[in-house]
Amino acid sequence: MLNATYAQRGQRMSEQMEQLYGERLQRYVAAMRNEKPDRVPIRPFAAEFAAKYAGFTNQEVTHDIDKAFAAIRKCAADFDWDATVGNMVYVWTGLVDAFGTNYYTIPGIGTPPDAAFQYIEPPDEATAHMKADEYDAFIDDPTGFLANVWLPRISNDVVPPGQPSTYRNNLAFLKGGMAMLDYFSKFGAQVGALQAESGTVHAIAGCLKAPFDILADKLRGFRQLCADIHRRPEKVLAACEALRPHMMFNALSGADPTGNVPIAIWLHRGCTPFLSPKAFETFFWPTCKKIIEDIYAEGHQVLFYAEGDWNANLKYIAELTDKSIIFHVDRADIFEVHKAVGHKFALSGGVPNDLLTYATPDEVREHCKKVIDGVAADGGYIMDAGAIMQDDAKIENVQAMTEATREYGAY
Amino acid sequence: MPEHDKPKLQPGECIPWEQRVKEYARILGDEEVVKKVWKETDMLAYLYIWACLIQF
Repeated sequence: MLNATYAQRGQRMSEQMEQLYGERLQRYVAAMRNEKPDRVPIRPFAAEFAAKYAGFTNQEVTHDIDKAFAAIRKCAADFDWDATVGNMVYVWTGLVDAFGTNYYTIPGIGTPPDAAFQYIEPPDEATAHMKADEYDAFIDDPTGFLANVWLPRISNDVVPPGQPSTYRNNLAFLKGGMAMLDYFSKFGAQVGALQAESGTVHAIAGCLKAPFDILADKLRGFRQLCADIHRRPEKVLAACEALRPHMMFNALSGADPTGNVPIAIWLHRGCTPFLSPKAFETFFWPTCKKIIEDIYAEGHQVLFYAEGDWNANLKYIAELTDKSIIFHVDRADIFEVHKAVGHKFALSGGVPNDLLTYATPDEVREHCKKVIDGVAADGGYIMDAGAIMQDDAKIENVQAMTEATREYGAY
Repeated sequence: MPEHDKPKLQPGECIPWEQRVKEYARILGDEEVVKKVWKETDMLAYLYIWACLIQF
């Protein structure tokens, strides 16, 4: 759906927008291939920031997907961004509340309307979505385990097999399925609208997570998983391996058939201080690396969205095939990253989010110039904040980041 | 189906065609047509379950 042509989406794009879109796509793709485009592209990922800019509350964009999409389109048009993502407030209550999902607090329900949504990670064995003695069942049949055990645990409405079904159980699957269809149908239209209204490229297509992150985030909880890597390491490794083909299949199912824009991998717990380099090498990296290499062999780059500071793991990242990833820098020193792997991969990010929150526009401009001068001289760099922008980012600072990219980023 | 007869699910599958086809009394028309549509819709259910885990 993300990759339908304009005609398929029933939308018309003016010649001017078509030309602008073509220029932006060429610029963005050249930079991601570690080549030198006409100028540095800018590709911010805006979540609650877009709501603030468009005049919506966090509650509005979390509940009303049309407002969330409209907010992004306004940002893309007003800021003149080359690429962005159609929606980064991914907890749409139209879906998660319809299914009875119980691991989020939602603005306007569990938190105030001006707060961002929160994920509630299982803090102990009693609340874990997968118990320590259930590894074998998961490894044997991951899809069956998710359908029969995991979904009933993460939904207030779904009952497990063997229990009497309920009205709410039946409706949870019906409403959840219809809501997901609705969401992705509208997402496809959003991609077309970004192109037609502002010539903006949709920055990514396809979603990937590292198997270890899935275990940590959604199944065991990070605290329990940290015990598992000492108490039952072979089970953790086998579970990561069981997840690997499914992660690959799901990522490719949403990928750009033209291979222009990358699949994004959102990396959570691979960096210090969550994992030591040894634990990373043993548990996190083998399956993550294999998936990325296999995806690249299928003709797709991966946006390696390295949340946190990954510099302790750069020697492992350098094992990946040249150009297989775009390395996104969050908290790390982007100049060190460039020195270590800049000859192999394009980089993005490197503008700390706290700078966008607390600094002045002049300080933001100065930092952006320093990044461009330091890592973008030969191309292979995409301007972006270190992490997804929430509503603490100042509008004038995001404007300064955009203007500095245009001012200093021409080749 | 006894647990030991349960086929291993591949990525993209919830109920494999090999299991489903045994449940029809007979297929009088083109089996490939039935198989294609079954697998495509089965994959949507698979993607729903995994999207809940990975994306939402």
